[in-house]
Formats: sequence, C-alpha cells, structure tokens
Amino acid sequence: MTRFQPFLPRRSLWRLALWALLLAPLAGAFAAGYPAVTNARLAHAATDNGWLMFLRDYTGDSYAPFRQINSRNVADLKLAWDYDIGMKRGFEASPIVNGRYLFVTTPKDHLLAFDAVTGKVLWTYQENLTGVGLKTVCCDVVNRGVALYGNNVYMATLDNYVVALDAKTGKVVWRRQIKPADVGYAMTLAPLTVQGMVIVGTSGGEYGARDFVVALDAKTGREIWRQYTVPSPGQPGSDTWPKGGIYQHGGGSAWLTGTFDPASDTLFWGGGNPGPWLATLRPGKNLFTDSLQAFDPRTGKRKWYYQYTPHDSWDYDGVNTPMITSLTYHGRRYQAIVHADRNGWLYVIDRDTHKLIYAVPFAHTMSVAGFRDGLPYTDDAARPTIKKQIFTCPSFLGGKNWWPASVDPATHMVYVPTIHTCMTMKGAPTFYKPGLAYLGETFKVVHDPNDSNWGALQAFDLDTGKRVWDHESARPWDDGAMSTAGGLVFSGTEGGHLLAFDAHTGAVLWRSPKLSSGIIAPPVTYRVDGTQYVAILAGYGGATPIWGGEMVKAVADVPRGGHLYVFSLKR
Amino acid sequence: MAGRLLQAFLSAALLAALPVQRGKAASPPPALYTQSQARQGASTFEGKCASCHGHHLEGGVGPALEGPVFASAKSGFTIQQIYEFLSVEMPAYAPGSLSRTQYLDITAFLLQQNGYPAGSRALTDRIASASTVPLLFQAALKAPAKVAKSRAHAGRPLDMPKTNAP
Repeated sequence: MTRFQPFLPRRSLWRLALWALLLAPLAGAFAAGYPAVTNARLAHAATDNGWLMFLRDYTGDSYAPFRQINSRNVADLKLAWDYDIGMKRGFEASPIVNGRYLFVTTPKDHLLAFDAVTGKVLWTYQENLTGVGLKTVCCDVVNRGVALYGNNVYMATLDNYVVALDAKTGKVVWRRQIKPADVGYAMTLAPLTVQGMVIVGTSGGEYGARDFVVALDAKTGREIWRQYTVPSPGQPGSDTWPKGGIYQHGGGSAWLTGTFDPASDTLFWGGGNPGPWLATLRPGKNLFTDSLQAFDPRTGKRKWYYQYTPHDSWDYDGVNTPMITSLTYHGRRYQAIVHADRNGWLYVIDRDTHKLIYAVPFAHTMSVAGFRDGLPYTDDAARPTIKKQIFTCPSFLGGKNWWPASVDPATHMVYVPTIHTCMTMKGAPTFYKPGLAYLGETFKVVHDPNDSNWGALQAFDLDTGKRVWDHESARPWDDGAMSTAGGLVFSGTEGGHLLAFDAHTGAVLWRSPKLSSGIIAPPVTYRVDGTQYVAILAGYGGATPIWGGEMVKAVADVPRGGHLYVFSLKR
Repeated sequence: MAGRLLQAFLSAALLAALPVQRGKAASPPPALYTQSQARQGASTFEGKCASCHGHHLEGGVGPALEGPVFASAKSGFTIQQIYEFLSVEMPAYAPGSLSRTQYLDITAFLLQQNGYPAGSRALTDRIASASTVPLLFQAALKAPAKVAKSRAHAGRPLDMPKTNAP
C-alpha cells in the first residue's frame, strides 16, 4: 500500500487537485519521457540529479554534491512517500534514480519501477525462479539493485541471468545466463555499466565455485570477456596455488560491484575468499583471492593487483568497494584507492605505483597482524588446522561486511560501517560436491572482548589516517553510508532508524521515525524539479541473522518486511 | 565452440542417462530410519534449522530441503554426502554444534520428508556415513503433510507476472 503524506493544508489540497486536473496531460508526457543514460552521463554521474548507479558514480564514493538538505535544516526532514513491499527477507538494494524513474530490486529478484516524486508504481518484473533450488546462495536471497544504460535497466539474478528490461515498460529486451544455477554460482550484485558493457561478477566462494567477472554487450547481452579471479595452470598467479585441480574450486568470488577510473581506463574489482575456507588445503598465497584487481575494461586483462589477505583461512573476502579518490598524506598528493577490508584494515593504495600508501586498523585485527614493505603478513597463531581451534578477530563477517563506506571530498573523511566481532574457528573434513557448501571449517562468531558494542559508524581523516569520530551501537552496524555536500552522512540502523550525522563531528542531527524493519540497504539521494530526496529500503535479513553466531541474539527481535521510504524537506 | 560442443555432448549424455535413473527411482526406496528418529528429527529441525530453511522445509534464506528440485537426479546427492555435510557445516550460525544423535535424527527427518519410508532399524552413524543411496524425491511415496503447507511467502505478495520471455 502506498501512503501519501501531504505536506499541504487541506485548503491547499483542493487547489492542488485543480492544478492536477489542468496538468494531467503533462503527467502523460512524463510517462513517455525517460532520459537516455549515455556514456557521458555515466561519466558525470557524480553531478547528475539522479542516482545513476550502485554507489552513485564510478568512484564508488557514495557522495552527492547536493546541499538543499543540510546540517542546518535536516531536522525538518519528513516522509515524502513510502511503499510497503512485504517479503520477509533481506532488502539490500540501493534505489537507482534517473529523471523521475526510481528502480528498486527485492529479495528473489523482483524489480519495481516508481515515479520518484509520487511513489506511483510504474511497472514490476519478477524473475521466474521456479525450478531453482537456491542451494548455493550463501547469505540470504538478496539483490543489491540495478544498473542503467541507454533506455535499459539491468538486473543480475540468483540463477545467474543478466536481464535487460526496457526502463519505461519493464518489457524484457534480452536475458543471458552466464552460468547454470545451483552448482556453486549465484549473483546478488548490482551490475556496473561501462562504455556500452554490462559488467557483473559471480558469488560462490562458499560452494567450490571458481568465480569470475564478465562483461556483456549492453545492447545484445553478447559476452565480450570473462576473467577468472583464480588462474588456471600456466596463467599469471597460478604458481600461488598447489598443483592439480583445486583451482577449479578456488573461489575468489567477485560478488560486489566494482569501480571504474576513466582517466587510466581501469576497472577495479575485488576478489573474494579462496575455497575451501581451510587454508591448509591450498598452500600458497592463492592469488587473486582477497585482492584488489585492476582490469582493462575492454579486454578484462589484469593490469595489476594488491592482495589484502594472503593465504586466507578466515573468509576475509576482498570485495568491499575499492573507492577512487585523491588525498594528501605526509605532504604528498596521491591518486588513491581507499578500501575498508573484511580483515579490519583500512587500506589506502597508490593508483600510480600500485603500492600501499598506508593502512590503519578500523576494527580489532589479529589475523592480519601488520605490514612489511607495504605488504600484509598474517599471524600463524590465528591459523586454524584440523586439530587446532583458534580465536581471532575480526570474525569472518568482517570488521565491515559489504555495506558501502563513503568518501566525502569536502571533509576528506571516509565513513566506515563497522562490526565488532571475533570468532573461534577450527578445521573440519570437507569434500567438494556441486550444490553443497565447501568450507572445511567450523566456526562461531563471538563478541569482541575489547568492545562492549556490536557495531559502529566511524569516520577517518584520509589525509592522516586518524579516526575523527566514532558512533558506537549496541547492535551491529549493517548499513552503508552516504555523504552529501550538505555536511551530512546518512546511514541506517538495525533498530529501523535512518540517521543523519554531522559529517565533521558525528553528532546525530536527525533520526527518522522508527521504520518497519531494520536497515541493511544503502541510502541514496536525488533531485527532481529542484527538490532533494533521500531514499532508503528497510527490510532486515542478509548474512548476520544466518551466520552471526552469538550476534544473532542481538538482532533476533528485529521485525521483517521490505518497505521503501523517501524523505524530503517540508515546503 | 569446443565448450559448446562439450556442453551439447554432456546434455545428450544426461538425457540418455535419464531413463536409467528413472528406472532406479522406480524401485522402492530402502527403509533406513525409524519413525521415532524422524519424529525427533522434526522437533530438532524446528528448533535449529527452520529459521533458515522454513518450518515446512520449503526454504527461506536457506534452500528448500524437500521436493524434486532439492532431491533431484541432477543434484546427485547421496545420503552419505547430505549426512556428512550437515553434521559438519550446519547449522550455519554454529556448525557442528549438535550431537551425533541430533544429526542422525535430522537426516531421518529429511529422508521422511522426501518420501523415504520408515523401517524397524535405526539409522546409525556407520550406515549414514557409508550410504551410497541416492537422495531422490519420492513423490508417489511422500506422505501427506500433517500441517497444510503454505508456499506463499509471509509478506504481502506482489501481483507480478512470472514471465521471463522477451
């Protein structure tokens, strides 16, 4: 049900109704008008009025240069419209906005198109998952949103299709399956459109997949290139794996959307954890798992890489967003990648030299103990074996999971969603069987003994690497951050409140009314006809309640059900 | 092209193999567990597994654990594989945390829910660990569920077309 919350007094409503009658033909004109998404618009998505891609623009910084809603007036933010979707699974999608079209995806790959101003449903689509067992989907049946190009909207599905739909009508333009369903692979990410290609990556690091990034022709769905994150024998990096066939189930999932640097014509994409989880089964560094990978976007050829966690035994996927920014550190200017890793370290990497500029811990870090010559080293005492149970931090859920951090170029800060977890872990017998998990470890997520809270949103000054503020939370912090030129950082809580923080101090300047469910989907902002809106999906679920061990209790009371909320200032 | 040829060959081989598998499935499945194990397994499942796999094994954030999609010839699961997998890696929030008896009971419950008959001999760790019996959904033998099953998700369903055809 859509509920409208008119901001106008009743008398004005009559006037509005009259205007609506007069303007009805123009409303029809809107329905016909979908602004085409060109390469030029995508290249300048940062300043677009919409929110054209997963993390707003190719830098992945989730920063919008809008200041209508700002630190002085955010307390007046009110509900503009909302829509009750239902479906008691995790909602992890960023709403994507182009002109007056707003697209969201839901669990199990439904897609809804709304009028971004009124909340009217324009069309809906549902991927037909009949006959799909969803056997190799690790962390809830989620989807993280769509990509746009031309007049199409693109969704990646749990049964490994990329679906192109007409953005105005929802009619299917093409569908292409990049891998069969239920045999280790699935897709939950928002695609990225670059230079006429739709680029996606597969999940499957828990199921013996050998994962890959694939580029399809945006117009036809034809495959242009496919690059595996785990090399086959003879390829660069293959000497970091044992001989034999284990690479075929080596994981390296590419399950989160990458970023793109047009200046150097480089696509950045993270590689996930190696498979099976137990590292003793695959001696070597296991490239390019847990790694930043820099690809030529035209060919998929790997230009360079940086491995965040060598020879991982803790499921520290390196897929968190490689954010593109520039910063000044110790008086030197750098073109950098900023990345808050699952292993608890904030990495700042030089895009020119491909070397580490600096790394600072943002969570309790034990497994990756430190850095030598710019490369991480691990603590052998934190490595489990079949006979040895270890205790380490962070847990496999990470110091931060996929929830996007945000870089604010005005404050030079990065805002990092954080969870304070550790774990026990022990080796276990395993075997590879398509359709079953391939882990080789047992584990339990426990509380970080150094922190009484489960979560936090933290701000770090990128020019110094120092923490500036820390908003602690009794519950885990499972939501992305979004910053704006209004001096604000938005992020949602598992308790169901969307918060606006002062970007400089971390002071909470606005707290939404309690929404229908906990929030694990990133907030976005957009402008239509001079009005700035903030949109967020509530709908708790995802990895935490499945894998969270002791943390499950902290979120057991969170109500379920998806609901889209859009806020703006009262006018 | 070679990949496509191989795929075509494998598809043909699979089709050729199907009648054989159907033939196998037609022979009565063995009775590998007792009614009491399945009853106990249902109770343990409700407490430890249903939050992810659904109260009627219909799936949720975890896959459905009964029916022709889960227990299919294509999946090719054996009882040994399912038993060993679940006793090491499940439940996901605390893998390996249940007792041997509880894992056997849950395996018995999964067999029952996929149409396998109960018998007089209990499923033991030794039998389950070595069983090459395929897990194939036995539609004809599946006892009607005591509780009416609802496959609709709990939220308000969206009225959306289920077509994927361009």
